[in-house]
Amino acid sequence: MALSIEELKEKIMEKALKGPKTQLYVKDFYACDPEAKPRAVKNAANDLVKEGRMVFWSSGSTTMYAAKERAQKEQD
Amino acid sequence: MPKHETPLMDDLEKGPWPSFVSDLKRQAEKNPQCWDIIGQMELSFKDRMTHWKHGGIVGVFGYGGGIVGRYSDVPEQFPGVAHFHTVRLNQPSSKFYRTDLLRKMCDLWEKRGSGMTNLHGSTGDLILLGTRTEELEPLFYDLTHDLEWDLGGSGSNLRTPECCIGKARCEWSCYDTQATCHGMTMKYQDEIHRPAFPYKFKFKFSGCPNDCVAAIARSDLSAIGTWRDNIRINQDEVKKYISGENVPNGGGIPAKAKKFDIQKEVIDLCPTGCMWMEGDALKIDDAECTRCMHCLNVMPKALRPGVDQGASVMMGAKAPILDGAQLGTLVVPFIKMDPDNEFEELVDVIEKCWDYWMEHGKNRERLGETIQRIGLPTFLRVMEIEPIPQHVKEPRSNPYVFWREEEVEGGWQRDVKEFRKKHAQ
Repeated sequence: MALSIEELKEKIMEKALKGPKTQLYVKDFYACDPEAKPRAVKNAANDLVKEGRMVFWSSGSTTMYAAKERAQKEQD
Repeated sequence: MPKHETPLMDDLEKGPWPSFVSDLKRQAEKNPQCWDIIGQMELSFKDRMTHWKHGGIVGVFGYGGGIVGRYSDVPEQFPGVAHFHTVRLNQPSSKFYRTDLLRKMCDLWEKRGSGMTNLHGSTGDLILLGTRTEELEPLFYDLTHDLEWDLGGSGSNLRTPECCIGKARCEWSCYDTQATCHGMTMKYQDEIHRPAFPYKFKFKFSGCPNDCVAAIARSDLSAIGTWRDNIRINQDEVKKYISGENVPNGGGIPAKAKKFDIQKEVIDLCPTGCMWMEGDALKIDDAECTRCMHCLNVMPKALRPGVDQGASVMMGAKAPILDGAQLGTLVVPFIKMDPDNEFEELVDVIEKCWDYWMEHGKNRERLGETIQRIGLPTFLRVMEIEPIPQHVKEPRSNPYVFWREEEVEGGWQRDVKEFRKKHAQ
């Protein structure tokens, strides 16, 4: 049974805040709900960016996700 | 901002070619931050390393692509380029612009950025070079509201689709590349603006096998125009080429305009040897034609692509970051490219490939690398495509043939005891 979108978002946030790495690939979030389709995970992660809880980090060729406060702290 | 001593950069103004350094200096008279670009580049030459930091958190609200964040690692020395973000604008299909729109874009960019542009970057986008973080949102607002112009793709997104000039000006185009490029751009807005993939993914659309956007070399998925039937031959025009009345290569190679020898310049150069003369008539064994386009390019008045037109889809081209560069591999030999059904066949191919790659591609692994890793036979099964001889790259080097259970009558299930009875001592 796949998680609801809100449950998935919370799992993603938890991983982004508590995981050892600040920046994560979208694939790193697939484990948050192994039953969810990749697009559903991507949409949930992008919703979190729209809500301002996560940010995109981009090198130009790759884009990664990070919890806003962690990423800001690291960049500063 | 002061000028800097830049002997190494100044050296790049010498020689016969136009120099970007001269352009920078001219722009610096209007926008002093450009002196700092020249200064920082001079320092990079001296230090033999870049002074741009790698990436950053930068973009416009709701978008995960289109802005490439660039920060200087020596901002005290060169404050004009402390932030120097690049903005990618989604170019119109085939890069047809209205001049009034270009003027408005230049005015806006003078106001919100360095005033420097690349028309066009390697990505195909119109590139705006260098602005500060605080200017991004106002720039994006003006671009989208006043100019109705959107950002292109960057990062792990679908990159801005690109196409050749297609049916707009080219007699060889086998499908409407502009309609396809625009259609795919509109359909996949979310994938262009928000990261969806393990790494970058590029579409490019060429109308014929001349492949004027080098799709086969540069895109994860290239649709290259082709035809399923026979090359159309106008024998009267063939005779005119032979007699010298028609100029070969459309006059594009003046040295070859004299003494045209069809045997030497066309028939002997056919890579599959599928052409010959019978009297003064040109004959083609179309089953052997490999669509190299050479004969059509040399004799455009005499030869034209067939009438049953569509595209071949190649997948997996990439630059040499891992495992060397790759050209695209033929995956789908022929599909119709029909705007009336919103390119249904192409969309089906794209989405089948994405669904697999998004799940099974590793982080920072291009589609071509995934295909290399899992093998083309596996990928063809994913794409639900029957292998054909054109999929074969070279004779087998592995003497074993591995069967799948569903290919074997009775599968792997058998009565072992029954089998062993035959061998009982």
